[in-house]
Amino acid sequence: MLRQKRSWFLIRNSAVLPAFARLKPAQAGIKAFRQVGDFIKPTTRIIQGFGRWASRSMLHLDRSQVRALWRGEKISMDLSIDNGYVILVIGAHDILGLGLYVNGRVSSQLPRKEIRSPML
Amino acid sequence: MTPLFEPYSDIIPDFSAFQDSLRNPLPTCIRINRLKTDPASLRQSLEEKGVQLTPASRRHDTLFLAPHVSLPGNLLAYFLGHIHPQALTSAMASLVLAPQEHASVLDMCAAPGGKSSHCAEIMNNTGLIISNDLYAARRPALGHTLARMGVLNAVITAYQAQEFPLRQRFDYVLADVPCSCEGKFRQLGEAAAYREFGGKETLPDLQKRILLRGFDLLKENGRLVYATCTYNPSENEAVVHRLLNERDADLFPIDVEFHVEPGLTRWNDETYDKRLERAIRFYPHRVDSVGFFLASIGRRC
Repeated sequence: MLRQKRSWFLIRNSAVLPAFARLKPAQAGIKAFRQVGDFIKPTTRIIQGFGRWASRSMLHLDRSQVRALWRGEKISMDLSIDNGYVILVIGAHDILGLGLYVNGRVSSQLPRKEIRSPML
Repeated sequence: MTPLFEPYSDIIPDFSAFQDSLRNPLPTCIRINRLKTDPASLRQSLEEKGVQLTPASRRHDTLFLAPHVSLPGNLLAYFLGHIHPQALTSAMASLVLAPQEHASVLDMCAAPGGKSSHCAEIMNNTGLIISNDLYAARRPALGHTLARMGVLNAVITAYQAQEFPLRQRFDYVLADVPCSCEGKFRQLGEAAAYREFGGKETLPDLQKRILLRGFDLLKENGRLVYATCTYNPSENEAVVHRLLNERDADLFPIDVEFHVEPGLTRWNDETYDKRLERAIRFYPHRVDSVGFFLASIGRRC
């Protein structure tokens, strides 16, 4: 894990990495976390890659629910979890990214510009 | 037909069929990303949603034609990093390079990241890929592709390819150099004119400098693939010929399942090293994809 300002990047360790340590990176690995105010937020891509190993806070949605979130709506849900990030899953196992669960309502933390209407 | 390709009438076999093929639209081809999904299950999932895929290769189960998909970027599978739109011939570059797991790879002109991400998949996200691109405007797309495709073993650098530091050597180098993009005529149309880079250097000179530097960055048993999407021998065989003259390099035969033509050994008044026959040329009337040139290069044994 590497830190640059308010972001953390994850790169897979490798025996060949040290040989290239003197190169100047513009970016190493995937941006995994970024600081949002006082909180550390996982990125969409790291959740897509590793979210399948989550054991809780996974929210399975149908397409109409995902569309609603994408439109900026908040979905009312009674989840037995604390306020915080939830992993949004569409279909059986496709992990979209994060939502935010606050006081019984879920909002999208997905990168809105990357999701296009025909996808949903 | 456009006069742009008339100079090649003597070197492109069945030239009238070649010209006819340029009128047909380029088929949509996608690569399924094994780092994030399984090709068979994704194919089934897409077909259940009405997206039909046809295998584009007998040897590689990740390459598909999507004849009825005009905008693969509009598929949810694209957002999820399960697919990447990539020309079939372009995908051949990484497959011919065939980087092994735990190796070191340099992609000298990496943006927008299709080949780097393909190498990462072939390497199963192990080892290290240096995805280099000089142009700041192109690096966001490179970073986005690598992230979207779940690539965890890549570092992005911003060196001039022809000046990449010589401090370390690589097991594999991919030199997919800037070129005149004639092979992309069906995508770009008549606007794909020969491009000079700032008037300071012609394309063949730049390509030669990149290729020489790439070769000098190879380990003793390393392998380099030189790739362009142009038909112009001045950017293809002539560049590799100059490498063979200036370095102790050799060309290796390339085995692909598709109908390809060998590299040229002469064009106009120029004669090239006979080993250039081991390079391969893809033409759209032979393989319905972007025109391409590949040469597999290593140090002479």
